[in-house]
Amino acid sequence: MVRLPYSTALTTLFSYGLLFAFGHLRDFFRRIIDSRKPTTNLKDYAPICLGHEDFYTRRLFNRVQDCCNRPIASAPDAWIDVIERYSNDGNKTIHRTSKTSRCLNLGSYNYLGFAAADEYCTPRVIESLKKYSASTCSVRVDGGNTKLHIELEELVARFVGKPAAILLGMGYATNSTIIPALIGKGGLIISDSLNHNSIVNGARGSGAAVRVFQHNNIAHLEEVLREQIAQGQPRTHRPWNKIIVIVEGIYSMEGELCKLPEVISVCKKYKAYTYLDEAHSIGAIGKSGRGVCDLLGVDPADVDIMMGTFTKSFGSCGGYIAASKEIIHHLKQTCPAHIYATSMSPPAVQQVISAIKVILGEDGTNRGAKKLAQIRENSNFFRSELKKMGFEVLGDNDSPVMPIMLYNPAKIPSFSRECLRLNVAAVVVAFPATPLLLSRARICISASHTREDLIKGLEVLSKAGDVSGIKYFPVEQEKTTAVEKLKKIQ
Amino acid sequence: MYPGVWTTYILILFFSWLLVLSVFGCTPGTAWTVVNLFHFAITYHFFHWKKGTPFADDQGMYNGLTWWEQMDNGKQLTRNRKFLIVVPVVLYLIALHTTDYQQPMLFLNTLAVSVLVVAKLPNMHKVRIFGINAEN
Repeated sequence: MVRLPYSTALTTLFSYGLLFAFGHLRDFFRRIIDSRKPTTNLKDYAPICLGHEDFYTRRLFNRVQDCCNRPIASAPDAWIDVIERYSNDGNKTIHRTSKTSRCLNLGSYNYLGFAAADEYCTPRVIESLKKYSASTCSVRVDGGNTKLHIELEELVARFVGKPAAILLGMGYATNSTIIPALIGKGGLIISDSLNHNSIVNGARGSGAAVRVFQHNNIAHLEEVLREQIAQGQPRTHRPWNKIIVIVEGIYSMEGELCKLPEVISVCKKYKAYTYLDEAHSIGAIGKSGRGVCDLLGVDPADVDIMMGTFTKSFGSCGGYIAASKEIIHHLKQTCPAHIYATSMSPPAVQQVISAIKVILGEDGTNRGAKKLAQIRENSNFFRSELKKMGFEVLGDNDSPVMPIMLYNPAKIPSFSRECLRLNVAAVVVAFPATPLLLSRARICISASHTREDLIKGLEVLSKAGDVSGIKYFPVEQEKTTAVEKLKKIQ
Repeated sequence: MYPGVWTTYILILFFSWLLVLSVFGCTPGTAWTVVNLFHFAITYHFFHWKKGTPFADDQGMYNGLTWWEQMDNGKQLTRNRKFLIVVPVVLYLIALHTTDYQQPMLFLNTLAVSVLVVAKLPNMHKVRIFGINAEN
């Protein structure tokens, strides 16, 4: 059951119905007009799209195409160059101009500010590029295992708090190739209903049975566990080989943290393994940046397998799994992404090594601690100011991801285009990444945003929110917001 | 699953009745008959004639199933399905009542409701009479 105000649900359903009706009307006339045109030479070829398969893409998505896939012309730092585009035929084709506009970047997963050139990381990355070249051109088990890879595996294991770690070249591939290597037919995977597509893909590819529990609902997780353990495997009712419960640290579409201590205690009670996907939370939350275990006070030894990616907080690419030595040893021999896929590019490895050293303070400065404090302060400030302005913001405190609810399909392009016009680059998400009625704009805060950047962002979001009408909650009048306080001082 | 779907459906029917009344200026009974017939045409086309999904991602898995058959993953007699069977019947009763059971409205309305209700029965799941609409 999705939660939203009833009148908003009615208007949103009506809008989708209207868009649907207009799309069908246009298709109907298109078919009449096209039946008069001469048929093409492709006589005996099968059509690429059968029937109305592409209805959603053609009639709903193409209308708002200019809000997605915007090309950029600089590194995704706090400020970003967005290439301006125009369309002459209602977004069917979009053309790039050669002009760029400098926008405040509220869409990149640049949590600690490592996305752009960094004074410690970049010289070392360039040096490793000269020494090890851009690619190892080989798999890890063959010729692609460099000193940097071994150093990073040990460093990641030490950072996260586990005995050993394995590196893989791509974050999505980490989930989708490791889960089949851990569990197979005869096993059971219980995953949160809002897990990322890579986990869903890995679970489906593994051959194990998959059950879903309601998002962050520990009582439902316990119910599912009890029912499945009592029933056993389907048809034969034999006991399951193993049960793995998969949760994420921060859910990127909600900005919520998972209730990790409760999940761990339930899993221990029923002897199930836990798999924690920290793609968005590693490096971004916690006192020392060690992710959701650090923030919620969970001992890393209690989580069986910890997965993470280097794309969000460390400004690189790739993913890792950290677990006990035996599990990592097994994975290194069975995981296809380790044996058959090219190893991580050495400059990318060096970037992660340098980033982790900065976070841990091992580069000799306290920039890491300052960045962590900055992102926490920025996130809490931004979220509380947005809430004071009357936006409906999801997510827990301390989480740098904050979705702002839009609901109505017309508000998606309106909000996005108005923000771009006022030089703020914001990301909007709609169906199918979110449920049909719950489209949202997702803001990601970075440690490299200064207080002035955030205040400018708040002003622009407020104006765009007024134009689109998304301030669903009443504005708090008793305290003035920081924007007005700053204007009073000036 | 989504709140407000049933209410939106009923509100659309009610407002289209008001629209027909204001555009044609006819008696309320004729307006209900017109709404009933349009409702028949539109819901028959979308629920029982069109097949497949508007998304290409599922790779044509549902290309042989009409939207009625895909509803609730093929489970019969769920709450949604029961509601959607009751709506044409209630429309039929309202149309008959407001037209005082006169011909030809009686015949047209009865035809509409019988086709719709028969098409929604659980026994008609995946049945294609005379092979009509059987190709993907």
